[in-house]
Amino acid sequence: MDWAGWTVFGLIASAALTAVLIAAQLAGLTRLDLPLVLGTLLTPDPDRARVAGFLIHLVVGQGFALGYAATFALLHRATWWLGTLLGALHAAVALTVILPLLPGVHPRMASHRAGPAGAAVLEPPGLFALNYGGRTPAVAIAAHLVYGTVLGLLLQAR
Amino acid sequence: MAAAPIEEYGLLGDTRTAALVDAGGAIDWCCVPGFDGEPLFGRLIGGPAAGTFRAGPAGPATLVARRYRRHTATLETTWATGAGRLTLTEGMVAELGGRLLPATVLVRRLSAEAGPAQAVVEFDPRLGAGHRRPRVRQDGAGVVCEWGSLAVSLAGDPALALRPGRPARVTVAPGRPLTLVLAVAHREPLVRVDPAAAWDLLVADESRWRVWCAGIDPSLPFREAVVRSLLTLRLLTHSPTRAPVAAPTTSLPEDPGGVRNWDYRYVWPRDASIGVGAFLGVGRLDEARGFLAWLLHASRLQRPRLPVLLTLYGRPAPRERRLPGWPGYAGSVPVRVGNGAADQHQLDGYGWVVDAAWLLERAGQRLYSETWRAVRGFADLVARRWPEPDAGIWEIRGDPRHHVHSKLMGWLTLDRALRIAEAHPLSARRRRRWEHARDALAAEVRTRGFDAPRSTYVRSYGSADLDAALLVLPLLGIDDDRSPRVRGTVDAIRTELSAGGPLLYRYPPGQDGLPGTEGAFLPCSFWLVQALARTGRRPEAVALFRDLLGRAGPPGLYAEEMDPATGAHLGNYPQTLTHATLVQAALAIRDFPPGDLVAAPRTGS
Repeated sequence: MDWAGWTVFGLIASAALTAVLIAAQLAGLTRLDLPLVLGTLLTPDPDRARVAGFLIHLVVGQGFALGYAATFALLHRATWWLGTLLGALHAAVALTVILPLLPGVHPRMASHRAGPAGAAVLEPPGLFALNYGGRTPAVAIAAHLVYGTVLGLLLQAR
Repeated sequence: MAAAPIEEYGLLGDTRTAALVDAGGAIDWCCVPGFDGEPLFGRLIGGPAAGTFRAGPAGPATLVARRYRRHTATLETTWATGAGRLTLTEGMVAELGGRLLPATVLVRRLSAEAGPAQAVVEFDPRLGAGHRRPRVRQDGAGVVCEWGSLAVSLAGDPALALRPGRPARVTVAPGRPLTLVLAVAHREPLVRVDPAAAWDLLVADESRWRVWCAGIDPSLPFREAVVRSLLTLRLLTHSPTRAPVAAPTTSLPEDPGGVRNWDYRYVWPRDASIGVGAFLGVGRLDEARGFLAWLLHASRLQRPRLPVLLTLYGRPAPRERRLPGWPGYAGSVPVRVGNGAADQHQLDGYGWVVDAAWLLERAGQRLYSETWRAVRGFADLVARRWPEPDAGIWEIRGDPRHHVHSKLMGWLTLDRALRIAEAHPLSARRRRRWEHARDALAAEVRTRGFDAPRSTYVRSYGSADLDAALLVLPLLGIDDDRSPRVRGTVDAIRTELSAGGPLLYRYPPGQDGLPGTEGAFLPCSFWLVQALARTGRRPEAVALFRDLLGRAGPPGLYAEEMDPATGAHLGNYPQTLTHATLVQAALAIRDFPPGDLVAAPRTGS
């Protein structure tokens, strides 16, 4: 297990994933804003939330990178294409499990069952996060492929 | 069978979807799982093959009373049936909390007084454009209908032998009511709800609605009617997103038998913005903030362009298409789904939205930096594009024109953005650009959009027609409320676009390139009340308002339009814009005492 590689490259891969998502958002491809979604766990102010959310995302990304590094260690190889494959799996889990489950734990995210008394205002992502725009699944997949590929490439080099 | 008058329908809702029930107890319209889903009961515009759910008297009966329970969303209908009376009490459960309940629960209870009553339950669900019949299985106290990922159950207490499409007769004895509960599951397991427990849920919901209504400003004039409108607005506001749907129906005709049939099951940012003012004015801050939050989130992808309409979840509205084989309400075809206005450029939308942001800021709700960035983007776009023609507020499907109302709302965009900028960062260069555009816009519209001999603003540059949307003029502040321009415009519209009594056409009938004509446009009448109240003519405003309140349907609801000759409601129903403007008219009456022309501090711009 390459602990030093995990520490440094996990951060780089998470930053790359976040950069792809933000670029796609600025390009008008999706309304998925992971720093905002994560940061509003702590504060309702969108600008402050994005800062907090970016940091949370780095920590979460580091946790996922541990899974990648462990998989590479178990397989005794780290390649860019193996990283890409893991990235695809990661994206599938994010879109079909993690995001749809978020309304259950996020205090400011409504669910499709929300009623008049609910104070949550953040729109639920829905299946494949399609509520955030029709191209959101493609953007999320691309971002996670970048994440996996970066991890595979950088850990391979060691 | 002739269609029931639109205004006789009552609204049942849970803030996620809604149902329309006629005076005979038939639910003839209900889409699942949300407002913009597929119709489960569609007889209202799809004929008998589109399904219905009736619970009411089995034989001839006389309607005795029909009303909502005070300050709740529960509807009560009572019929005289021979020697006794039969009452249907019904509603949808809005607040599910953290409990294991279906996302949609509809509860209906039939109870008898003064003797047994013969009742009938007709349950005939058909799904979607093709009126698909369900796969049916009997299950304990009821029946379960399935269409792939959608399942609907109906259970009764006492248990009933129910089969879709086959009316079941039942004798309801005094003291032994029949309770029916319909549950819907979409892409999730069906959750059974015991009918007695469902009734308790509805009663608990009633208590919550009463508390909600108690939070509304007690000093409102005509408070009962205004509260009913606010409750209707809230029922039409989709809780998962806080998006107000324009109406829960599609293709209820503006011209019975004609082609003016549109799908309103989407969200117009304009309506959402008007709702901000309405809720803010009565002290419901959460709803006001929710509207703006949805708007900013939903418009994120297309900013600084503001879409004309969006789905509840902020996606582009589906392409407009016609449903073949649907007979329409009173033979009004085509029945449409989707809305073709989505691609239009409407300058006025920006004004409504930025004004809503200003109202919140003025109410002490400091805008987040992100909101201010969005407002800056809207103002930049208006400063750049105001010289272009647009489709206007009425979404005319012909060549764009220089609509005067749109220009005035463009002025409002820049004016309100400049006011907000007093408390937010703005570069001097940008400020100058906005100020220059605002002043140029005012100069042009006063020159090209004003008919000096008639002393009135007109519908579009070079046109002699008037436009009732110009009744918002006193709200803007571009001209002093005392000015002859404002008074002349209000009086000219009142005279030239009058449809009799308090009713107004929105523009000269038929001047929109579509075949046929249409009714009087109810929001314009409420704008007239507002304009009169704000220009020191409160007694006239009160008289008109009182007259308009008398024209509501029996459950106290309004469609978009009204036939001036018969008083029949026309168009999609109930309509968010009409109810929002009703509230704003009441607020103007509250805030502008007779002869007071000073801008009121409590609401409005």
